[in-house]
Formats: sequence, structure tokens, C-alpha cells
Amino acid sequence: MIRVENITKKYGSFIAVDDISFEIEEGEIVGFLGPNGAGKSTTMNMITGFIEPSSGKIIVDGYDISKKPKKAKRQIGYMPEGVPLYYELTVKEFVTYMAEMKKTDKKERKEKVKKVLEETGLVEVQNKLIRNLSRGYKQRVSMAGALVGEPKVILLDEPTVGLDPKQVTEIRALIKELGKTHTIILSSHILSEVSQICNKVIIINKGKIVAIDTPENLEKKTVQGNSVYVTVEDPENKMDKIKSKLQDVNEVKLVEENDDKTKKYIITTNKDIDLRKNIFEVFAKEGITIFEMKKSDATLEDAFMKLIDANTKEESNNQAEEKENKKSKKEKIENQEEKGGEE
Amino acid sequence: MWAILKKEFKSYFLSPIGYVVIGIFLFVFSIFFYLTAIQTGSVDLGGLYYNTAFYGLLIIVPILTMRMFAEERKTGTEQLILTSPISMIGVVLGKFFAALGVIVTTLLISFMYFFIVRYFGSPNITVTLVTMLGFILVSAASLSIGMFASSITENQIIAGVITIAFLVLSLFIVNFSEIFTNLSIIDFYQKFPSGVISLTDIIGLVSFTGMFIAFTIIVMQRRKLVK
Repeated sequence: MIRVENITKKYGSFIAVDDISFEIEEGEIVGFLGPNGAGKSTTMNMITGFIEPSSGKIIVDGYDISKKPKKAKRQIGYMPEGVPLYYELTVKEFVTYMAEMKKTDKKERKEKVKKVLEETGLVEVQNKLIRNLSRGYKQRVSMAGALVGEPKVILLDEPTVGLDPKQVTEIRALIKELGKTHTIILSSHILSEVSQICNKVIIINKGKIVAIDTPENLEKKTVQGNSVYVTVEDPENKMDKIKSKLQDVNEVKLVEENDDKTKKYIITTNKDIDLRKNIFEVFAKEGITIFEMKKSDATLEDAFMKLIDANTKEESNNQAEEKENKKSKKEKIENQEEKGGEE
Repeated sequence: MWAILKKEFKSYFLSPIGYVVIGIFLFVFSIFFYLTAIQTGSVDLGGLYYNTAFYGLLIIVPILTMRMFAEERKTGTEQLILTSPISMIGVVLGKFFAALGVIVTTLLISFMYFFIVRYFGSPNITVTLVTMLGFILVSAASLSIGMFASSITENQIIAGVITIAFLVLSLFIVNFSEIFTNLSIIDFYQKFPSGVISLTDIIGLVSFTGMFIAFTIIVMQRRKLVK
């Protein structure tokens, strides 16, 4: 349905999108995932023909978007980032205008507009000015504008940004519903959203594709071994030496220190065993109180972090350690001062 | 093109802009109507339109054109237009003719003065119609400049100021040197009020308009590459 071949977009010496290639089949719901500024919107803008790539080729439904823009654009419905709308128009006027721009048949236009308004749940507000609508409704209107004219491909740039949780669920359900009849590309930096809705994920970072796969595969690929999260109270710092007492354990790592003096650790093993029983018994023997214990599920979040943030994570860990060191030094000094005061 | 034209024309009258333009036009027109027809008893409507074009267009044109592309760019709605299957030529022409449509509408309203004058005297219908034709052409040329100014910036004020500056310059530039005669839009309009359709003037105005429409299309096309 969409074939992207080696597209690059340069702004002066800055490379926003760097030699990206991928293919999207008919009926897929594809999620573009990446941190802010990764090149998601730029890529989408190039697919819709809003901007021209510096080099490379984009084929939509068999038509090159640069050479046959009219035919290619007719297959595309686009909901741009930031939901741009004409505030002086009513909902119905706007959707009709979009239908006219997409060159729908005049006889069928009214019905098509009506159908889209029903699909997006806008019938009740169809005669209201867009200016007076809430953010959630504006988002729907923008979506209706993308849907009208029955495009084969729908691109949604950050469709759930700025919505309240209820609206987010509604929009997601709507996207899923649309996915049955359309090819959908959506961009997001919310991982759970992508793993819920999409059946293919393209992870972009710094203008390059880091991974293309199904959400499930990505989760499997990136998480090795199995691990357990435990939150413990450990006043005597026995956790430092606990590793030798636990069998088959590769790593015991501090994840975070809570305000109530409990600490959260991740305990990892390479073997396919359930660590929890062992941990419980050993910890009890050692006098470490377990507040919480949870087997970690591999999530897309982990995959994402591993793929994108490998470096930054290390850096931030180092910083955290430094902070801890400083903290403990401070505490020592304070303790000494207190002692001095008592004397 | 039709979709854009229709929506833009409607938008002019959904906002105050359309009414403001009609108001300013009729205000300026009425002042000259009072000065000529009422005070001196002249039935020369041609001069009326000429004077309105000379002073009125300076204000009307920037009001009509400054938001054309600048606003769409600022609010992001240009993404909706430029990702639609309408060609850039269609987009630009649609917007251009919508603005021209507002001016034609005001001209039609101003035609009532012809009937007022005819009630008392005998104005020349041919001269009036020729002058109106000329007015449309002069407006078209001025609008094309305004549209071009709007396409190069996302700030409406800047677009408006550029337009006014250019129009004022084109009014008085002839006073500096004869060389600039062809840059002066109003110069092309001098023969129309006496009922003369001069092919040179028509070609001059139309090519002037065409040139700036083409510039606008080029600017918008190029933005795809640099944006």
C-alpha cells in the first residue's frame, strides 16, 4: 500500500530523516514510535506530500507522491499534528469542505459526510461552530476531515495528545474500528497506545529506523532472562550480600529508593525458573522484610528504552549514583554535627 | 479550485472582513459621489470609480489579502489544503478569485449609484461599465501583489505592510521617473474612466496579475522543499 524508499530530509546541515525505507501492507495499523524530535511528523508530512523529501521515493497505492500527487493524495486522509481547523466554519461545513477538496462525487457527497459524522460521533454537534467545541471534539472533527472521501490510507499524527483519559479511550476505540477497513499510520510517543492499537511498530530515533516489528515480537526480542521486582525494608543493608545466598541469580540491582526507606530491587536469572519462592524463603531467613514482590512482564516500554535510550539510561544511572554518593556524604556530615551537638 | 473558491468567499462573509471591505468601499465611493455628483452636479461615474480605486484599494486590498496564506500557515490549516488532491495552481487561483469575488460584489452594490444618477440625469452606461471592468482589472493586479506578500510570511501584519508599501509606491513611483510607468498599476487605469478600452492597458494589468500569481505559486511550491 505504501512503499517508502530511502527517503532523506535535510534542513541545511541538519538531517531530520536519514535514509528511511519501509513498506506498509494494506489493512495494517502501523505505529510510528519515537521520542520528540525523532522525525515522526517529518516522515508523515513526506508521505502525505506536504513536504518533499530531499531524496528518495514514496509510493502510495502505486502512485509516486512527487510525480502523481493528485492520484496519490486522493488515497490519503491526513490528520495533522496540533489539529488545525477552520474555526469560523461549523462541523458540517468543515467536513463538507474536506469532502469537496478530496473531489468526492457531488451526488454522494452529502451521504458520505453524513456517514463520517456518524462514525466519529459528531452528529449532535454538526451545526456548532468549531471554535466553540471542546478539545476532544475538535480532535474528532479533524479525524472526520481525514476520513471523509473514503481514503485507503489514514495518517494520524499524535491523535490522542491533549485529551482526557475518557476521550483517549474513545479515540483509540475509533481508530481500532477504522483499522478494520483502512490502512492506518499513526504516530505517538505513548507506548501503551501503540501496543494496544497497532499490529506493527516502527521505532524511529534521530531520523533513523531503530526497529520494525510487531509489538509482541519487539517485547520478546529485547527482554532476556526473567526477573522479579522486590521492594524491601533492609535497615542492616543485607541486600548487598544477598546475591551469594540466592541460587541461580545473575544480578541483584537497586532500582529505586523510596521515601519510606524501602528499596526496590530487580533480581534477574537466566534460567527458566520462578524465583519468587526462593527469594521469599531466603529473605525471611535473613530478616529482610518484603513489602512487595512482582514478576516483571516484558513490556514495549522496556523494548523502547533498550532500543532508544541505551546510552541515556547509563548516563542517568551514573548521575543517580553520584547523587547517592553526595547524599550519603551529606548524611554523614549531618550525623557528625548532631553528635557534636550532643557532646 | 471551486472548493477553495467557495469556502474562501464564504469565509470572507463569516468574518467581518467582507463587510468591512464593502463598508470602506462604499464610504470612499460615497465621499466622491458627494463631491462630484451632488456638489458639482456631474454625471461622470467614471471619475468616481477612478478615485475610489486610487484611495480605496490601498486599504481594501491588504485587508482582503493579508490573511490568505499567512494565517493558514500560522494555524497549520495549510497542511489540510496542501495534502488534498488540489493542485497548487488550483489553491492559489481559488483564493485569488475568492478575494476578487468580494470586490466584484461591492462593485455590483455600487451600481445602485448609477440608477440614482440616472434618476436625475443621463449618465453614460458604456462608460460606467468600462470603468467597472477596469476597476476589476486594477483590483486583480493589486490583489495579486497582496497575495504574493501573504505567501512569503506567516505574519499577517507584515504581509499587510508589504502590500500597502508596494501599492503606495506604485501610485507615486511615476513621479520619480518615467521609466517606472509600467510598474504603476493605477497608470493603466487612466483611460478606462473616459470609456476607452485600451488593449495595452488590459494586457498590462492582466500580465501584471499573472506574474504575481505565478510568483505566489512558485513560492508555495518551493516551500514544499524547504519546509
